[in-house]
Amino acid sequence: MQLTERTLDNVNIIAINGRFDAHTSKPVSDWLEAHSSLTPPRIVINFENTEFIDSVALAVLVSTMKRCRQNNGDVFLAAMSQPVKIIFELTRLNKAFHIFDSEVEALVSFGV
Amino acid sequence: MLSGKLRIGVLTTFPPGTGSLNEYGFHFVNALREKFDDVSEVILYVDELPNEASYPAFEDDNIDTQIVPCWDFDAINNPLRILKAIRNTEPDIVLFNLQWATFGGRKVPASLGLVTPALVRWLGIPTVVLLHNIMETVDLKSAGYAGNPVMEAIVRGFGNIATRILLRSNLVALTIPKYVEILEAKYKADNVLLAPHGSFDANVPHPVFDLPEGPMQIMTFGKFGTYKTVEALIEAFEILQNRGKQDLELVIAGSDSPNAKGYLAGVAEAYKHVPNIRYTGYVAEEDVPIIFGEAAVVVFPYTSTTGSSGVLHQAGDYGKAVILPNIGDFAEVITEEGYTGEFFAPEDAQSMANAIAKVIDNPERRREIGQQNFLASHGIPISEIVDWYLLHMQTLLLDSTNTKRRQRRLRRQGATA
Repeated sequence: MQLTERTLDNVNIIAINGRFDAHTSKPVSDWLEAHSSLTPPRIVINFENTEFIDSVALAVLVSTMKRCRQNNGDVFLAAMSQPVKIIFELTRLNKAFHIFDSEVEALVSFGV
Repeated sequence: MLSGKLRIGVLTTFPPGTGSLNEYGFHFVNALREKFDDVSEVILYVDELPNEASYPAFEDDNIDTQIVPCWDFDAINNPLRILKAIRNTEPDIVLFNLQWATFGGRKVPASLGLVTPALVRWLGIPTVVLLHNIMETVDLKSAGYAGNPVMEAIVRGFGNIATRILLRSNLVALTIPKYVEILEAKYKADNVLLAPHGSFDANVPHPVFDLPEGPMQIMTFGKFGTYKTVEALIEAFEILQNRGKQDLELVIAGSDSPNAKGYLAGVAEAYKHVPNIRYTGYVAEEDVPIIFGEAAVVVFPYTSTTGSSGVLHQAGDYGKAVILPNIGDFAEVITEEGYTGEFFAPEDAQSMANAIAKVIDNPERRREIGQQNFLASHGIPISEIVDWYLLHMQTLLLDSTNTKRRQRRLRRQGATA
């Protein structure tokens, strides 16, 4: 798995390339934990090149969302690849997260 | 997200009650009671204890929890009693921790009980059902619900109706992806979701694979008499003894299934000639780590499958090698959740003895399986799964609030048109 990160107008963006699962979640989890503690946290996760996601990875995202919203911020998910979309639909977590078709749309929602 | 904290009702079996799923109910509720940011009160709708015994009150500093005993296994008036209890306590939302036989071993009370979530929703209180198994994958004959094909067809017919009624809940959560797919495909359900089982204890230390002094313990854990039966296991144990393995003990940990009262006493009598068998009876929560910790292997002498297994997760928590029946979705659970084990042909004592021998004769294999199961069980703690449920509940309540607002607005617009 490869991570690409950048910041734009106080929005922290991370793109996850490859598999995001129990074996690879640690660096993503660490990055998200660090950035969701900022006040207010504003995070965009780009899943365009994410090949696979499992329930451990979903648990990381749920914890992140919870932490962000507790700190008056949010995490937006963007450009979901088909395998990621399927898992979100299966767990109905697509109803709980703000999901955007593209990274640009997610950034616009943050007012960038 | 809702700004207020929730008063959450949970209908479940709960220790010291001995109904099935009490272990899951215990861990789920304990995790829920620590969600101070989201929950203001938990109300447990539990089954009555025998001999008018009372549930011990919670004496910790976690979220306030009312315990409301309001139903009885095999009683036909359960829906009315539960509705009354829920109306009196007025939770924001109710979660039902269910499997097919939660409310009874007899068909009528079991089915009537399953109507309750829909009734509660009709009462105006949103409901979420956590359904641990689905009718489509239960072997009714082995589970003791149908003795012949005609009865099986009848029971399946009623099962389909009961499933449709259960699906009248706002949400139905399932622990295996295949179950979600089956309900979506067969019933066109659009309110089902996957919520993993979760591991019970995130604080279990890394297991020690060395075994205690004394005979090597082959252990089985559960509520026996329906689809969990021990005759083949005892016969497998005899086979191992006859092969010269004398330094073994068979530990049958747990009690009768509520649907099979007196089963274990009958087994003990029938197999009293077999030495080194220990029947523990009901295992109190504090004794669970000892029972699992001392076991060399945990055997699942199931004749049918019932979904993701709480006992399998516990075996994983304690890093145990497991011996599993090669049937239905049990093997699928192993694969999907990352567990592994040795498999045997169901109800085949010879095959079971061979599978057990492969593990107890090979300490390396025993450790490998135990290690993998430990890692699998620690995928997601139940505390995090509870967060998923809270998220779904909050989304549901927000939707329902928005719907009510929308309806009020439409009514106003209609009145002014």
